[in-house]
Amino acid sequence: MTATFALIVDTFREAMARKIFWGLFGLSLLMVLFFLFIMKIDVVEGATATITLFGQTAGGEHRDMAVDKLVKQVHSSISTFLYSFGMFLAVFASAGLIPSVLEPGRIEVMLSKPISRAHLLMGRFIGNVLVVSCNIVLLVGGVWLIFGWKTGVWSPGFLVAIPSTIFVFSVLLTVVVLAGVLWESTAVSTMIPVVMMILSPILAQEETARKLLSSEWSRQLWLFLYVALPKVYDVGKMTLDITLGQGAGSWWPIWSSGAFGILVYGAAQWIFEKRDF
Amino acid sequence: MTAELAIETTDLRKVFRSRWSGKEVCAVENISLRVNRGTTFGLLGPNGAGKTTFVKMLLSACIPTAGTARVYGRDTKDPEARRPIGYLPENHRFPTYFTGAGMLDFYAALSGVDAAKRRKLIPELFERVGLDPKWMDVRVGKYSKGMLQRVGLAQALIHSPSLLVLDEPSDGVDPVGRRQIRDVLHALEAQGVTIFLNSHLLQEVELFCRDVAIVNKGRVVLEGTVNDLTAGKGYKLVAMNGSGPKEWNLGSREEANGKIDDLRREGFSIESLVPTTSRLEDVFIEAVQGKK
Ligand SMILES: Nc1ncnc2c1ncn2[C@@H]1O[C@H](COP(=O)(O)OP(=O)(O)O)[C@@H](O)[C@H]1O
Ligand SMILES: [Mg+2]
Repeated sequence: MTATFALIVDTFREAMARKIFWGLFGLSLLMVLFFLFIMKIDVVEGATATITLFGQTAGGEHRDMAVDKLVKQVHSSISTFLYSFGMFLAVFASAGLIPSVLEPGRIEVMLSKPISRAHLLMGRFIGNVLVVSCNIVLLVGGVWLIFGWKTGVWSPGFLVAIPSTIFVFSVLLTVVVLAGVLWESTAVSTMIPVVMMILSPILAQEETARKLLSSEWSRQLWLFLYVALPKVYDVGKMTLDITLGQGAGSWWPIWSSGAFGILVYGAAQWIFEKRDF
Repeated sequence: MTAELAIETTDLRKVFRSRWSGKEVCAVENISLRVNRGTTFGLLGPNGAGKTTFVKMLLSACIPTAGTARVYGRDTKDPEARRPIGYLPENHRFPTYFTGAGMLDFYAALSGVDAAKRRKLIPELFERVGLDPKWMDVRVGKYSKGMLQRVGLAQALIHSPSLLVLDEPSDGVDPVGRRQIRDVLHALEAQGVTIFLNSHLLQEVELFCRDVAIVNKGRVVLEGTVNDLTAGKGYKLVAMNGSGPKEWNLGSREEANGKIDDLRREGFSIESLVPTTSRLEDVFIEAVQGKK
């Protein structure tokens, strides 16, 4: 337990020593502050409107609807932002945290301690997920609280973005880890998951592709890639649907992406345990 | 029985295979070594002899191609085998975001030392390795090479190991620092800590170690106690008087000069003074030259 905790704290410390993580936190904080500021103006400008809106009387029902819609729209744009730009930034920031720990002259000291390699890798992985999670909780939680407090609309659907983004990030992080233990290169560790992210919305157009692709094997390949690779886009869309108060639909993007993550992490651990340093 | 030994390897072997070309390098060729508890053991050899690879296999940082390695009777595949080991690698690169104290805290925690004990031990260790405690809260990125070596040594000692493994410990350390490090090591030796050191410096091993093995091209070429293997080192003096030539074997330069003074006073005439080498020196020099 002492060792696990130390590994997690170490990951935080290293992340904080990198400017990019401060950038990530700064960005989240900025967004939270931005909404805080915007909402203030709203309240000031539309003070009477707001007050009547949230009066006990049911008089402003259509306005209530309008606020509700606005909040949901903001929520869904933040979700979209998280799944595209935010996820990219998080992967970009994390990609160096695995190769750095494998650096010659550093890894030997860690390996000489009485902990297994699996433990070491897991500590780093969890630490990395937690760093990014803090960021996501700050952003999503902060925005949710501000909107709830200012508008009185507490739509819990938005909070689903927290576990869902953390989940997708963790899956992409397994790819970062695998690339890291294989090639020890930050660039490669960034590129592969980013390519997967970009491919994901394209591959998701599986039904359109079936009509457009001429040969059977290319259709099969498309389907295979879609099924095998992490479904960043589909999980993002699910989250959006939930945020907007619609149903979740099929859960298979979740569990198939999860299976992908477990498989890739397993491979990374297997390779790490056999490597010489 | 085996636990009587600090380190025991049987036919330990490591072949590195390049991932792309498939080219093979045999860094360690069937080394069987026994290191007694409480001794100071020097693994001596020219650069590229396989010393670092050997030590890394003891720590499971390298996976042996064949053979077994045991530390206090435990197979090194078991992470627990590393619990009694303190290790200072050559060319270490500690993360620069650590402060000196933060670094010791982290590595001690990995060894399972609890937080209260760590807080108590960190300043003690700074003192012990000769670092001013005012450096505790300074990032190690600002440390000099000699200071890094000391804080590295502190890192290897913080969990009170009974086997200390040092890879080229005097690299980059000035003579005063070497002396201080040697004093720290002597104190540990007196406490019964087994010390295993890798070195390409004959003098370092001669000065510090009780047992020695010379490795060359992955093989042990000579093994024994330093005392036995350095016997014969010194000077051979031949001098004449009326009754013909006589021979003396003298251990040191001072001794030789003193003897010459005495003999001159007694009316001898000096025929020759030839330096003699020890077996250890002979084999080592052969190993170094054979490499070229
Ligand atoms: N990771 C590695 N991959 C390939 N060859 C290696 C690796 N590590 C060491 N070697 C080779 O193994 C031999 C022994 O190296 P090393 O154990 O570092 O020697 P020493 O510590 O005695 O100087 C050298 O020829 C070196 O090039
Ligand atoms: Mg070496």
